[in-house]
Amino acid sequence: MTTINRRDFLKGCCAAAATSGLAPTAFAAGFDVQAATDDTLVVLFLRGGADGLSLVPPVGGADRAPYEQARPTLKIPTSGTGAALPLANSGGAWGLHPRASALYSLYQSNHLAVILGAGQVNQPVTRSHFDSQANMEVGMGGQQGSGVGWLTRHLLSAGLPANVPIPSVCMGSITSTSLLSSTETITLGSGSDFRLDTAAWGWNSADNYTPTPPAGFAGFVDVLPWLWNASGDPLERAGAQTLESLKLMRPINYGIYNASSNPSGYQPAGGANYGTGQLGTQMRNIAQMVKAGFGLRVAAVDLGGWDTHDGQGNPANSYDYFGNKVQELSDALGAFYTDLSAGATNYMNKVSVVVMSEFGRRVNENDSGGTDHGYGNVMFALGGAVNGGRTFGTFAGLSSGALFEGADVAVTTDYRRVLSEAMIRRLGNPNVYYAFPGYGGYSPLGIFQGPDLTPSAYDQLFKNGFEAA
Amino acid sequence: MAHASATPGFFAPRRNLLAALAGAIGLPDEAVPPSMRRPGKAPLDTALADAASADETASKAAAQPNLTTPPAAVRWLTKATFGVAPTDIAAFNALGATDDARWTAWVEQQLNPAAIGDGACDARIAGAGFTTLAKTLQQLWADHRSQTANYYLRMLPFSEIECMTLIRQTYSQRQLFETMVDFWHDHFSVFGTDYDGGPVFVQFDRDVIRPQSLGNFRTMLESVAKSTTMMYYLDLYSSTRAGPNENFARELFELHTLGAENYGGVLFPDDPSLGIGQLADGSSIRLKYVDNDVYEATSALTGWTLKNGHWQFPAENDGTFIYRDDWHDQYQKYVLNRYFPAYGHQADGTKLFDILAAHPGTAHYVCGKLVRRFVSDAPPPSLVASAVQAFMDNWQAPDQIARVVRVILNSAEFKSAWGTRMRRPAVATVAALRSLGADFTPVPDNTSAWTTTEEFLSRLQQTGNRLFFWPAPNGYPDKQVAWASSGALGMTFRLLARLPEMRAVNGQASSPFLADVVAQTNAVYGGTTATAQNIAGLWCDRLLGYRPEQVYTVAMNFLRQNAAANAQLTIDENWNGPNLSRHYTQSRLRTMVALILCSPEFMRR
Repeated sequence: MTTINRRDFLKGCCAAAATSGLAPTAFAAGFDVQAATDDTLVVLFLRGGADGLSLVPPVGGADRAPYEQARPTLKIPTSGTGAALPLANSGGAWGLHPRASALYSLYQSNHLAVILGAGQVNQPVTRSHFDSQANMEVGMGGQQGSGVGWLTRHLLSAGLPANVPIPSVCMGSITSTSLLSSTETITLGSGSDFRLDTAAWGWNSADNYTPTPPAGFAGFVDVLPWLWNASGDPLERAGAQTLESLKLMRPINYGIYNASSNPSGYQPAGGANYGTGQLGTQMRNIAQMVKAGFGLRVAAVDLGGWDTHDGQGNPANSYDYFGNKVQELSDALGAFYTDLSAGATNYMNKVSVVVMSEFGRRVNENDSGGTDHGYGNVMFALGGAVNGGRTFGTFAGLSSGALFEGADVAVTTDYRRVLSEAMIRRLGNPNVYYAFPGYGGYSPLGIFQGPDLTPSAYDQLFKNGFEAA
Repeated sequence: MAHASATPGFFAPRRNLLAALAGAIGLPDEAVPPSMRRPGKAPLDTALADAASADETASKAAAQPNLTTPPAAVRWLTKATFGVAPTDIAAFNALGATDDARWTAWVEQQLNPAAIGDGACDARIAGAGFTTLAKTLQQLWADHRSQTANYYLRMLPFSEIECMTLIRQTYSQRQLFETMVDFWHDHFSVFGTDYDGGPVFVQFDRDVIRPQSLGNFRTMLESVAKSTTMMYYLDLYSSTRAGPNENFARELFELHTLGAENYGGVLFPDDPSLGIGQLADGSSIRLKYVDNDVYEATSALTGWTLKNGHWQFPAENDGTFIYRDDWHDQYQKYVLNRYFPAYGHQADGTKLFDILAAHPGTAHYVCGKLVRRFVSDAPPPSLVASAVQAFMDNWQAPDQIARVVRVILNSAEFKSAWGTRMRRPAVATVAALRSLGADFTPVPDNTSAWTTTEEFLSRLQQTGNRLFFWPAPNGYPDKQVAWASSGALGMTFRLLARLPEMRAVNGQASSPFLADVVAQTNAVYGGTTATAQNIAGLWCDRLLGYRPEQVYTVAMNFLRQNAAANAQLTIDENWNGPNLSRHYTQSRLRTMVALILCSPEFMRR
């Protein structure tokens, strides 16, 4: 196969398709197009290294004593003010941060699963935020020599239908590394701001005029695409893609419904309250895209502020910085679940959320009331098709002999295993070894519901995607 | 399969839904959004991917675009400044007989900023009514850091630096210096509105970053470490022998000096793969750092703290630096194979900075970033090597950084590189203000009014590039791939298109425009010369420095509508649907300027 170049291969495909009357995609060897589902996977990244031992503290068993010893001021209490919420089916070992009440409800209704000891198993271990995030999101087992993210490779190999209005979004100004170099991802900070509406009113756009603009009218929005060549240099292509994305989003009203001021706005179902914060708004925008049926397969969203070297706070006290972050996370995810699961169609049956962070934090708290960079961490999986209400993965323990380098939670669950399971069982894409080069030996933990497919590596012929020309 | 989405039935209802959605807001059917995934569209941008993966040593630059390029003066000034202002080209041309001679003279002039008169910019700042910029650290501490009830007052020093920086970037004649200030603020990035750092941010900008922006790296490094703003941002103030905090030490290695490119990860310090080389003074040093070096350096810096009213020293509370020997870990340390004997006291820290500032890894990392900023996302290794040489040879010189910048700017690589990078949103915005000849003095505001400054900063924040708003200590990304996202570019278009509409007093129709495009046009062309081709040419020259065919043609056709290219335009402001050449012509002229600002030619550098 290595002697055939991609263009010839594709030509062959198309010729064959033309004579046989089959869709060209049926000939794209190496993956099973029928495997693709129309599920959505939301990847929520907690930037800065979230403290897993505060998110999901040990509340009983052998790890409680070393935990209390290592965290004299930061430990989440098991009773009284700020007590951890005990997790069922964990042998009395684990609790949830008390500010995560919405997540706790989802755990109790079996829609939230907790994954223990998660992280990157590859050497060398890095305690740099930026290296660690890049390594995780590039997904090449610690190698960074690629400008292509793991979600980009998933999309490339997912066997999606030929036309999908919005297959992928990244919520933010700057594209997450996991979606780097994807041309079918729209990056946007907020749905309602992502709009060209600032040029002089009379010449901004044809759609400013109702019912119709003057004959032959073309405004700023309509003319700007003439300046950006979709087959030009990388900058011009990016600009053309931006304008295409803006056009795609333009008819959608992302504002919140208001009977008088915005009657065509978005109305979350089930009384879901997303609040006014950035994460809530972004989750609301994602929910709206899911419901609108844009074919959304992948959404990446971030919540920063987890690098708590200093003044982490404690839910037993009035100062509770970390708890504020937890509540922000929990409320946004709770609203998202409520919004998508209420109503006639339970969208959450086809939507899964994975929450991850680049590393956990040092078991011993530092003297600044915070924690330094560590290693193993927790992950969350959330959705109607998640086998929630229990924990997955193993935990090596907090006794000093069990810790990585005597200081950090050991990584006992490869984060790629969790994401691979989401890819196979929810997204119907078996090409997990393509999404995560260098990964092998996948077997499901059982976090997600869905059929198993034989994990595969996707034909290397396509490893760089189709040629632009 | 339960989810057979690849079947034709899957897509049809979505098409209908989109049509219904579009129909609901009165759009014709053909306005149904296109698709991001569709036949014939490559799902992966391989050139972007290649550019993103190009590292310091690889010179596989992104494919050189086939462009008509602007003149040398425009190219070079665009890369070394915040954009070309209307009078810049004439001033540049007066510097010599050839472009090369002019450039050499310009670089020398700019590398000595103190000798450049900057009266107009200083006067604008003086007239802005800032109240915190001249305060000492102690005054900032007493007046602002103590404010717990009034957040506006607490953060006022930060807000005034933000505004002042925009003014200097837009109006200062010392453009190269401002570019370097911007570079170092990224290199030693702090989150500007940090609750404790924000109130003393004036000191960080004025006394730490600016004095050494073309000066000495070693001096700046220690000055940053001691600064109140950085002390809080990376927690060094709280690091003691009883409770070490490694946050600062880790970023000191990874971001301030050796860089992640010289991080060996979790290895033993004597691992042979880490390599041995030489410091600038010729002595032997380990080349790569490991986690253990971070811990040892943390110990070396324990006791470096602030007079912040700590309970042990409640009377010492003015925000200034202090070294507390009682808090210092007096045991021996071992950093980069260097032995620090016990009882090194504060000299442990200064010795650490000496080593890091003279380290070849630091020189390579810092020079690589400088070359990327000025030249290319894939820094040419030959030029990085020349810059490293200058950095190492002059590591103790007071003008070390100026010497490095001189090497970079006078290089053939600098002069020939064009179009492989883009202006970041903030630079594009300031460049637009400069080339529009805007009159804009941003000032903080504490009223309920939504001021022009507030709108401007809010829109800049939407681009993801508001000054000093990057939350992580690695500073804003400096690669095209980071900013070529639909989010950043889309919001940059949104801001640039707004600029010609903005007025000194927001929302007040009688208030003057920040840049009066119509008046500026009328000042050049009137009567029969006010033609679409003349006016489009004027604004291409003004904003781009040349007339690239596509932009010029589109702009000119947009302006003329159904009139001839050489017909006289009546530049008034009336509705005239049947005759678009007379339809809101003033608005159309400003919108034409917006189109040129939102062209790839304006973004490219």
